[in-house]
Amino acid sequence: MSENPDNQSTSELSLALVGSGGAGVMTAGQTLLDAAAASDYYGLMTRATGPQIRGGEAAAILRLSARPVECQDDRLDLLVAIDWNKAERFADELIVDDNSLVVADPGQGEVPAWITDSGARLVEVPFDALTREFRGARTNTIAVGLVAQLIGLEGRDVDATVRRILESKGAKLIEAALAGLELGRTAAADLAGPKRLERRPEPVEPRWLITGNEAAGLGAVRGGVRFCAAYPITPSTEIQEWLAAHLPELGGSLVQAEDELASINMCLGASFGGTPAITATSGPGFSLMVEALGLATQAEIPVVVVDVMRGGPSTGIPTRSEQSDLDIAVHGAHGDAPRLVLAPNSIGDCVTTTQWAVHLAEALQSPAVVLSDQRLGQARAAIAPPPSRDWHAQRKLAGNDTADYRRFTDAEDGVSPMALPGMPGGEYTATGLSHMESARPSASGMDHRRQLDKRRRKFAQFDFGKHWADIDGDGDLWVLTWGSTTLPAREAVARMRDRGHAIGLISIRLLSPLDTEALTEALRSCRRLLVVEQSHGGQFHRYLRSHIELPADTHLLARPGPLNITPGDIVSGLEELTLEDAA
Amino acid sequence: MNSAVEQQIRILGHKDFKSDYKPVWCAGCGDFGVLNALTKAMAALELSPENVAMIAGIGCSSRIPAYTTVYGFHGVHGRALPLAAGLAVSRPDLTVIATGGDGDGFSIGGNHFLHACRRNVNMTYLVMDNSVYGMTKGQASPTTECDWTGSKLSPQGTHQPPLQPLELALAARAPFIARAFSNSPNELARIMTEAIAFEGFAFVQILSPCITFRPEQLGWKKRVHDGFEPTDDRAAAFAALAEDEGFTTGILYRAPRPRFAPDRREPVDIGAIEKRFEVRS
Amino acid sequence: MSPLTDLGSFLAHAVVLEDEAATRYRELADAMAVHNNPDVEALFRKMSEYSDMHRADAIEHAEQHAGGLPDLKPWEFEWPGDESPESGRLESTHYLMTPYHALELALEAEEGAFAFYSSIAGQTGDPAIRELAEEFSAEEKQHVEALKKWIAQYPEPPENWDDDLDPPVPVD
Repeated sequence: MSENPDNQSTSELSLALVGSGGAGVMTAGQTLLDAAAASDYYGLMTRATGPQIRGGEAAAILRLSARPVECQDDRLDLLVAIDWNKAERFADELIVDDNSLVVADPGQGEVPAWITDSGARLVEVPFDALTREFRGARTNTIAVGLVAQLIGLEGRDVDATVRRILESKGAKLIEAALAGLELGRTAAADLAGPKRLERRPEPVEPRWLITGNEAAGLGAVRGGVRFCAAYPITPSTEIQEWLAAHLPELGGSLVQAEDELASINMCLGASFGGTPAITATSGPGFSLMVEALGLATQAEIPVVVVDVMRGGPSTGIPTRSEQSDLDIAVHGAHGDAPRLVLAPNSIGDCVTTTQWAVHLAEALQSPAVVLSDQRLGQARAAIAPPPSRDWHAQRKLAGNDTADYRRFTDAEDGVSPMALPGMPGGEYTATGLSHMESARPSASGMDHRRQLDKRRRKFAQFDFGKHWADIDGDGDLWVLTWGSTTLPAREAVARMRDRGHAIGLISIRLLSPLDTEALTEALRSCRRLLVVEQSHGGQFHRYLRSHIELPADTHLLARPGPLNITPGDIVSGLEELTLEDAA
Repeated sequence: MNSAVEQQIRILGHKDFKSDYKPVWCAGCGDFGVLNALTKAMAALELSPENVAMIAGIGCSSRIPAYTTVYGFHGVHGRALPLAAGLAVSRPDLTVIATGGDGDGFSIGGNHFLHACRRNVNMTYLVMDNSVYGMTKGQASPTTECDWTGSKLSPQGTHQPPLQPLELALAARAPFIARAFSNSPNELARIMTEAIAFEGFAFVQILSPCITFRPEQLGWKKRVHDGFEPTDDRAAAFAALAEDEGFTTGILYRAPRPRFAPDRREPVDIGAIEKRFEVRS
Repeated sequence: MSPLTDLGSFLAHAVVLEDEAATRYRELADAMAVHNNPDVEALFRKMSEYSDMHRADAIEHAEQHAGGLPDLKPWEFEWPGDESPESGRLESTHYLMTPYHALELALEAEEGAFAFYSSIAGQTGDPAIRELAEEFSAEEKQHVEALKKWIAQYPEPPENWDDDLDPPVPVD
């Protein structure tokens, strides 16, 4: 936070770099994040890009802090523009004010109105001209040198990070990059920065640099996933790529499928054979998987689908976040087909929740959907390592005594022991048809009802424990949210507490089956509630209301993407709620 | 099944592969011949039921897994091949046989067919082709003749030339391509045996008459003739297809090539992978 | 390995002929059960039981053959047609078929078996094979005669026996 912008020394600051045409702002941003991490800071980098594959306008947004941080601030302390080409696209999210410093190349376009009108202090640095000082120097490394100098990152950490990133590119390039850093530092020497990061924080070891998508991949293999089939789709592809690189090291395999119909069915085939399987996709691909998810429910085949949500419907906004797939994740099926739906609520939690999803899918022989989104998936952060959990794929299997084996036996806990190909005596035909306990197809109402009851029972009787939600705080004022909007909600709650409000936060991790009893209990003391979600139609709010009675004084902060909901937005929502109450 | 004779003649064991479910197929359906041939082929190959998986989609012929005693998966319409590929890739120890009809395989599942041919996962694909949708009351399928007017859905014919599955398979680089006839179950069993034993994706189009909606197909008996000589020369195979009117049987093409195999790397434990996320200063 | 020249092969043919006949009748009986045609189902069931008995006889014969039997693959059997000759023709079945039709189907199958054995008896140069082939063909001849008598008890069905009063329904 930036409560006291006059103070030149701070434990935390926010900055952004913009540039286009291959200026390399993403690399510059990652260099700064990694260098800050090497200097024992926590940090986060998110990205905003235009629609072009190459040469598009781009913004790397960073927040660096002495304490764990996974959410961007409402405003920037520092904005560096290598050029201004189409930068207005980012006017809504790169918020500067009279406490901000904007550094821009005077030769690279007119300063946009949203900057000149903001009252921010503007200084000019001729990045492009400076590249002529050293053959091969690039504007983005000059910008990194400048920013590092302005905010007080240690030179040796920045140099080492640049060396590491360029390791494979050869000595010449490294030399040019180091020279660029130096040019940037020199250019910054005469400038007064907005703030400097105060002394190096106490080292916290180890910390990880990881994206949400990598984290989901790691959670999958931690849970025991050894098969993935997937079809590339933004913004989920990095999960697939991470698994392609790492499954082979764990004896697993990955298939790039011809489409999402194939990828989900390949996963079901692998899981039918006993191999825990996952696929990753986004809205359009998820839509194609819905039929097969119904099959997974009917045939009781465990499978995990990570839906890294983006703006919808249809192709929507592929590169930006939205929480608008909740409806399809929970209800997207024909027939009565309850399924597991989980949502990670931080980058680190992408590991934990995906791991849990694998565990639950396997234990309950059910499809599980993990609703991540672009905000979590494509952000890179320096974080404390996620806790290690004892959640593994443990399927209830048919024993050796397979005499009169019935695949869908009406088990008391609803979970029928599963035979796997290779087990003599367990042979059965899995089917999407309604069936008897023996797996034999049946159109009898009694068989249909018995299997529906059994499948519902396995959810009702399973002990999901306390992980269904993260609950923090007490009092009569609460925020209720899920998924990535938990990030700004946590920060908003912290700000409200700093102002003396007693306030609680519930972030629901297990969306389906919803633990209505525990949720009602958690909201027992709540009189005023703010429901926060990134969807236009208030899908989460409607879902909650379909299950429990919310307090009469419930407000809804529901907004579609692509602009992320900020801590400030939520604080405003809470202020409205409290003011209204006071009036 | 214990007399000396029964041990000596192994195909007598084919009944071990037949379940006690009564097929829902119409009396006289060609698929009975396919089931018969398939159980014989599995007996001839001395497979164990628990190590075989039959994967199917939707349609008359897709019901076949439950009529056998092996593991089966009767999935959704058109997706037998991806189900089978996922299983075969993750469980290379199993014998995986995908089955289905012309609608399941060439219409709703057509895209998977092309890519299964290219991908060359080790499995067998048996398509029981009767040029009609039986379970929805006899509509035209991709392999139906363009002037067939027997369906209320296309009362004036389809106006589309029928798809040529063997030509498609060859174009999509399937390494094993054959055609057989359900009325010759022993010859069909021979081709199935070769297909199952083949290391890679083996495709067999089985002409299997529909007695209910296409009774005229009973006349196929007179038109079917053997004639394909196995070759590994694509040009020769294309030439043979150019002469083919859809009723030549035998193995058309057999050209082993590297199978799909997942990437393999030096094994490491998850701890070592996690270590790579650690911040290095 | 021809049944004309090798006794083991001949015996293997005899066993498999009856085995496949029994299997086919059972299959046809099951199909009739599915189509709710109990009279014809019962008839095919009966035929399968007869074939089981004949199968047991053939195995008994075969077991007395000291040389053992060759393990022929399905396609290595030398049948006169596409299938073993006593297997009822699948394409001769219909869900509305009457016992008359079922017996005709069976008659055709038994005649096939009779022709098969007669042909071997006439062509083989091996006296042991000839003796057995003659014995088996005489048995099949009896079956043929019995079936003819049986059929005679049923009137020939009217021409419109296969009128489809319940046209096919969609099921999937």
